[in-house]
Amino acid sequence: MSTLAFFLTQSVNALSQAALLFFLGVGLTLIFGIMRIVNFAHGALYMLGAFIGYSLVRWTGSFWLALVLAPILVALLGTAFELVILRRLYRRDAHAFLMVTFGLALVVTEAVRLIWGPDALQVPPPRLFSGVVFLLGEPFPTYRLFLAGAGAVMAIAIWQLLERTRLGLLIRATSQNAEMVHALGIDVGLVRSAVFGIGCGLAALGGVLAAPLVTASHAMAATVIIDAFVIVIIGGMGSFLGSLIGALLIAFVQVFGNYYLPDFALAFMYLVMLLVLVVRPGGLLGKEA
Amino acid sequence: MTFKPRYTRRAVLAGAGATIASPYIFTSAQAQAAGAIKIGMPLALTGPLGSVGQQQKRGAELYAKLQNAKGGILGRKIELLIEDTAGNPATCVRKAQEMVERYDCRLFTGITLSSEALAIVPKLAEWNSIFISSDNGDGRLTAESFVPNFFRANTSGPMGARAVSLYIKGAELKSFYALGMDYAWGHNSVQVFENEMQRLKINFIGKVFAPTGTKDYSTYIAKIRQSGADGVYLVLAGDDNNAFLAQAAQYQLSSKMALLTEQIELVALRAVGDASLGLIGSARYAFTFDTPANKEFVALWKAEHNNVPDTFEGEQWQCMKVFEAGIIKAGGIEADKLRPALEDLTIESVKGKVLIRKCDHQGVQQGFMVKVVKRDGFDHPIPEVLAVLPEDRTTPPCNKMTYDD
Amino acid sequence: MRWSSLLGLAVVAVLIAAPLGLPAFAMTLLTELVILGLFAMSLDLMVGYTRLVSFGHVAAYGLGAYACGYLLLNTSLPLPFAVLLAAVMTGTVAIGVGWVCTLATGVSFSMLTLAFAQLLYAIAFKWTSVTGGSDGLAGIPRRAGPMGLTVLTTKTGFYYFALAALVGSYLLCRQLVASPFGAVLRGIRENETKTLTLGYNTRLYKIAVVAISYALGGLAGALYAPFAGFANTELLFWLLSGQVLIMVIVGGSGTLIGPILGAAFFLLLEHQLSSYTEAWALFFGLVFIGFILFAPQGIWGLLTAWFKRDWMRLEKGRRHGT
Repeated sequence: MSTLAFFLTQSVNALSQAALLFFLGVGLTLIFGIMRIVNFAHGALYMLGAFIGYSLVRWTGSFWLALVLAPILVALLGTAFELVILRRLYRRDAHAFLMVTFGLALVVTEAVRLIWGPDALQVPPPRLFSGVVFLLGEPFPTYRLFLAGAGAVMAIAIWQLLERTRLGLLIRATSQNAEMVHALGIDVGLVRSAVFGIGCGLAALGGVLAAPLVTASHAMAATVIIDAFVIVIIGGMGSFLGSLIGALLIAFVQVFGNYYLPDFALAFMYLVMLLVLVVRPGGLLGKEA
Repeated sequence: MTFKPRYTRRAVLAGAGATIASPYIFTSAQAQAAGAIKIGMPLALTGPLGSVGQQQKRGAELYAKLQNAKGGILGRKIELLIEDTAGNPATCVRKAQEMVERYDCRLFTGITLSSEALAIVPKLAEWNSIFISSDNGDGRLTAESFVPNFFRANTSGPMGARAVSLYIKGAELKSFYALGMDYAWGHNSVQVFENEMQRLKINFIGKVFAPTGTKDYSTYIAKIRQSGADGVYLVLAGDDNNAFLAQAAQYQLSSKMALLTEQIELVALRAVGDASLGLIGSARYAFTFDTPANKEFVALWKAEHNNVPDTFEGEQWQCMKVFEAGIIKAGGIEADKLRPALEDLTIESVKGKVLIRKCDHQGVQQGFMVKVVKRDGFDHPIPEVLAVLPEDRTTPPCNKMTYDD
Repeated sequence: MRWSSLLGLAVVAVLIAAPLGLPAFAMTLLTELVILGLFAMSLDLMVGYTRLVSFGHVAAYGLGAYACGYLLLNTSLPLPFAVLLAAVMTGTVAIGVGWVCTLATGVSFSMLTLAFAQLLYAIAFKWTSVTGGSDGLAGIPRRAGPMGLTVLTTKTGFYYFALAALVGSYLLCRQLVASPFGAVLRGIRENETKTLTLGYNTRLYKIAVVAISYALGGLAGALYAPFAGFANTELLFWLLSGQVLIMVIVGGSGTLIGPILGAAFFLLLEHQLSSYTEAWALFFGLVFIGFILFAPQGIWGLLTAWFKRDWMRLEKGRRHGT
């Protein structure tokens, strides 16, 4: 493989990885930005998305349908959880949210095991993206191109949502000053429920998209939650752009780092996080000092 | 803030406290069926390796059910003590200790993770208990970490690596690259393979290790591709194995080189489907093994579970047969009687003849190389036997993890 | 309050008498509870008294366990010295950890503690020659004490050693918390800016409490290694950090005793539930959610409320002659 081909394919690999990390991180950062909740259940919801996606693909035969429906179902679940349980806890300190989302993670993880069994399940990629293209002579899976593209599309869509729509305006305003928004007569509770639901839905979307690459598996929940935290912290808690940058940074560091220094593969993410936090304690685009 | 009636909260707290504390304070051991043979299995029933633990449980349960229907062993019923460790060695030690101290259980099997086994093994002497492993493949357990109360009925990691190397001798592959999981098993297995390649004068181009929990193998696939090797030796398991196989298929890696692996299991084949076609590797147990005992076992399994048995179900079955033969020969279950009875024990098992040799208690058994193919009657690929390798060639020398010839 | 001291003495007396009455496995469990209780209590200094929420407290536990395990396997140090030395080593390392982590506050602080714990996990995993890699250190002996004090090698002897460590640490913490040092910690908890303006170098205090907290956590880990006979990377897995934080919250943060009760509750509940059903994790999660919703002040809060009300009722009853 020539050096150019190598860098090209590895960069596209990194972009596809970044897309998955971005879906994971953006939901978490939105939830934190608005509600100051560190959502420990985020990984479990990602996993739930993958398993629901598996079932939907089996029943309908369509990956695309699963891609749309699974996030919606999980978003509804998240919103329900927020309405029934999280609502009661806003007056309390952060400990409460920590424990409650930790509890939710345990419940969801075990529920998935009970419903779908302990084995990993196959989710095949959509027929449209099951093949390869040749980048400078090297085969490259079209599914990863799709992932990179989906990530870019989603990033733009969320950006537009935040900048151009009324909901986006409310979200941004609530994250800066919830009381003011309330004083203006807006139902802040509704904004919070919507954001929590959207955040959970985005996590599930990430899970469905990841499933053709890694299968729907039970270890997913525990392994991705750390990744999510790291990306969001590096980018800055509550910053949408930050989660995008964090995802790209981590993906590129891991792809090229694992290639040249495989011995440090386990540590890369944390070294980067450490470096960023020491230099900028709030994260790259964060507000906390 | 919600206000609950005082007495309700108090009652709940008191009730919870009593429920949690009482068994330990008031009883020391529950009444057991008189003379039952208790076999303790602190398994990983939940958690990332839950799939393996569940297999071990099913294997043991079917054996116990069928054997008890025949009157048990030496007229005593078999009682399985099954607990969930969630793959945590601390929990495993706690559960095992409870089995010994509370239930006077002195026989163990089905400890899922090698890290759990390594934590348990030093305590066997203190507990005066015998442990026969059904899935722990760490070479150390019959080498540096060996203790007299430990027995291994299953194929070990080094034996799997050796089986692959013996098979390669006959094949047309001239150069190899290796990818393993970055922990003890991965390193050990790749090392054995590398030694074998050097002995066979086959070009071992290089190796790389991926941390457990790696989700994206694109970098590693690129490395493997770039090496230009004829074949790649894979030492991966569980989710990591599934992720790699799925992604390698997407990169069409198998069109460029042969994929050989140390361990082939049905769960993986079901999880990745057609992505596993063409994979060749060592199988610790497969339902397609052609021995009389296996035909019988598979028929029994199908009758019970309406499915074919997987790797660890078969390994656990073999292990229970070793227990049975040992206990009959010893005439009892006490460690001092059972230990010498198990040594030099031979049984005819699902994998053919198995001899528990005296020097390091390893079960000397054949090695099987399989290829993953599609066959009618199954909605997922299955492992078909390619070659059977003789036991004296596949089992390492006593107390060692590497081979001399 | 006198009743609390009486209660405390009564509890310690019961714990001391325990080996006489409890069966073997109950004693094993109780020893583990004592160790875990110490671990949880050590975190309370940070979380409950200074509002420094650590997501990486396993680092203390794991460091202590590995250090003690290494010392016991590779030197001939008597058990108590190995344990104490391991705790001191952990506390020393924690000064550096605290120095870096206190560069940030809030969630960033928590994440930095997590980063350190994960790095430690990675090091333990890879530094096979010292830590045994993924297999860890096995066969850690429960060696005798100095001057041939073999009582420590017995189950009961070791239990008393662990109990002494717990009670000693508790008394130390209580002194600390009641002292001027503790007052500054509470100041930092309530309003750090104000404490700063009062002239205190809050960062130094924070680093100090991190070091002490980690040292005590390391003590717990150092006790675990000879207790269980092994130290491996699972002791450094981040999930345990989350669990010990839960123990502190469920038990009642900022009370020192609460987290010990939280640890006991957690371990006993997990042990019992897992023997009843494979789906124990589900009920476990529901219990946490239930606690947060219905018993926010934690176990200790519930117990003290119960005692106080009864006490007040008793007082009232005595005065009115009923």
